[in-house]
Amino acid sequence: MREIVSIHVGQCGNQIADRYWRLILREHGLDDSGVPKQGSNVASNANMEVFFTKIREGKYTPRAVLVDLEPGVIARIEKGEMSQLFDEGSIIRKIPGAANNWARGYHVEGERVIDQIMNVIDAAVEKTKALQGFLLTHSIGGGSGSGLGSLILERLRQAYPKKKIFTFSVAPSPVISDAAVEPYNAILTLQRIKDNADAAVILDNEALFRIAKSKLHRAPNYMDLNHIVGLIMSSVTASLRFPGKLNTDLGEFVTNLVPFPGNHFLTASFAPMRAAGAEGQVRMPFPDLARETFAQDNFTAAIDWQNGAYLSACALFRGDVKAKEVEENMAAIRKSLNFVTYIPTGVKIGVAETAPEGFASSGLALVNHTGIAAVFERLISNFNIMFDNHAYTHWYESAGVSRDMMAEARDCVTELAKSYRDAT
Amino acid sequence: MDQTLDKQLASATRSVEEARRLAYRDPSRVGDLVEQISVLADLRQKEGDFRKAESLYREALFRVQDLKKPDSSLTAGIYSLLAYLYDRWGKMDLAAQYYEKALKLSESDDVTDPDKSATIKNNLAMIFKNLKNTQKAEQYYHEALEGFTKLYGENHSKVAAVYNNLGVLYYAGMDIERAQKVHERALEIRQNLTSGEVDPGDLSQTYINLGAVYKALGNFQQAEECVTKAKRLRAEQSGYVPAPRRSASLLQDKTA
Repeated sequence: MREIVSIHVGQCGNQIADRYWRLILREHGLDDSGVPKQGSNVASNANMEVFFTKIREGKYTPRAVLVDLEPGVIARIEKGEMSQLFDEGSIIRKIPGAANNWARGYHVEGERVIDQIMNVIDAAVEKTKALQGFLLTHSIGGGSGSGLGSLILERLRQAYPKKKIFTFSVAPSPVISDAAVEPYNAILTLQRIKDNADAAVILDNEALFRIAKSKLHRAPNYMDLNHIVGLIMSSVTASLRFPGKLNTDLGEFVTNLVPFPGNHFLTASFAPMRAAGAEGQVRMPFPDLARETFAQDNFTAAIDWQNGAYLSACALFRGDVKAKEVEENMAAIRKSLNFVTYIPTGVKIGVAETAPEGFASSGLALVNHTGIAAVFERLISNFNIMFDNHAYTHWYESAGVSRDMMAEARDCVTELAKSYRDAT
Repeated sequence: MDQTLDKQLASATRSVEEARRLAYRDPSRVGDLVEQISVLADLRQKEGDFRKAESLYREALFRVQDLKKPDSSLTAGIYSLLAYLYDRWGKMDLAAQYYEKALKLSESDDVTDPDKSATIKNNLAMIFKNLKNTQKAEQYYHEALEGFTKLYGENHSKVAAVYNNLGVLYYAGMDIERAQKVHERALEIRQNLTSGEVDPGDLSQTYINLGAVYKALGNFQQAEECVTKAKRLRAEQSGYVPAPRRSASLLQDKTA
């Protein structure tokens, strides 16, 4: 069994967890407390233990660790429909909060809680037979998800050097912003993601907002955005959880998607996009599905499509799709994508039999595009404006992060952006 | 790997998880969690995984400190467990640091456990000896001596143990005369202990240490006598397995 342990950090990370586990539960025919629903065929669901621990006959609990420095979101999950789902021993709540400050999450509060987190993760890992890797969900703009998330990433890499670490990182939006210090937090976190993760799916709040708005035809809320993230996450792992003709696992994703070390920042697209609960069993013709999967405005980060090129791409189709159709349509799509000249490979394709609940079929694209440099450059320029004027840096210095450390992170991300531009 | 250790680890891990759940529901149950954690950390050390043991103790430490009213004696206990771990791990600086923290707490008003603080002083002295800070080591040995004497009187096995340690320190510093004096004092106490109190291993160790002192002084005949006595003691107790002792209360006096 190739198990995956999910780690959800901070407010955003746990909100995603809320949506994501709901989806996964439904896909596996479990009710909100992890008990198989009447009539659901658990036997055909043999790979359930990738994401769940069977604690006894007829009761499953997610292989998940929930961490937050503020009790709010986790308390809501605990009081909600999934109150019986998570193992209380793997929920870590602390009161003080990181106050939107990366340094507090990384040093001050983080130091006091990281050991407990790692012990809980170790305990979750001990329950696996052949751990495949970790999924980490967090935002990189806040304090807990970014600072504490960075610390967790570093420790995870130390403790499990050979396991795959995937992050789903929500980047601060260029327009809508919660806090002035978001660029600082984001840059400091990106450096850690670059150094310690195997792949990071960058989710841009603004892009998510735009997608939600255009596809849902109404003003979206955070639940909608998190729902999209949940759909993407469930699809990334679908071929592991369900039988299929073409299987891809985390390791294969990484091998195919990361042509150069460090250039492992991906964007994703999910089709067909529907609001939570409003999917209906609409059947989409495969050519349309494939086209929407690779539509530029369907991707979750503000990529610079004009001045960039594809380094690599993976596609995963779920549900009622025919291998022949996939081959024919993807060959055409492959031709329409602007790949870098020196990587002549095609698109790595996976197929899983079970579609997400409510969908007849679905498509996921996970791509490595050099245009992602634009996301970094935007953050760097926002970072520099404040940093050069010494704005807010005292908060970081007083929590143990020097200006040198911040400058080092900026240089690292600048280098990263440049390496993407150079690769074009 | 050792199968019984594997089983013990698995069951200790389960106990810790259960304790975590209880503590999550009711923070006042952290004491139970600390207890379970210390068992698991002990096993981790046995397994040789110091990093995990450290991580476990630190979890316990911060959990206790996060309580509204942290229990000082519990905190002091965790400090000394951590210190003992660092000692075995070879991280002497950290060991000294944590023993000093433990000492400070165990001498604070709401704990006052003179036996514990004297024990910590003895352990601290050993760390400083290893750090080659002879002056501090000597000072702490004297303080430990004072503490134990005040508690148990002049002729107690713990007093003898500290004398023995002090002798080892003097000997290492080539201060043979003083080494002889304290080793003879340790011997005197140990010889006069009742058979229930005396640990033949300790006694033979004193003979060996004293033998080394005599040899250094050129007194070979007495040295040989001592060694013979030690050998006899060892032979008598062959088959004897020293019982494992609780880490925090452990007086290590076999480092000669």
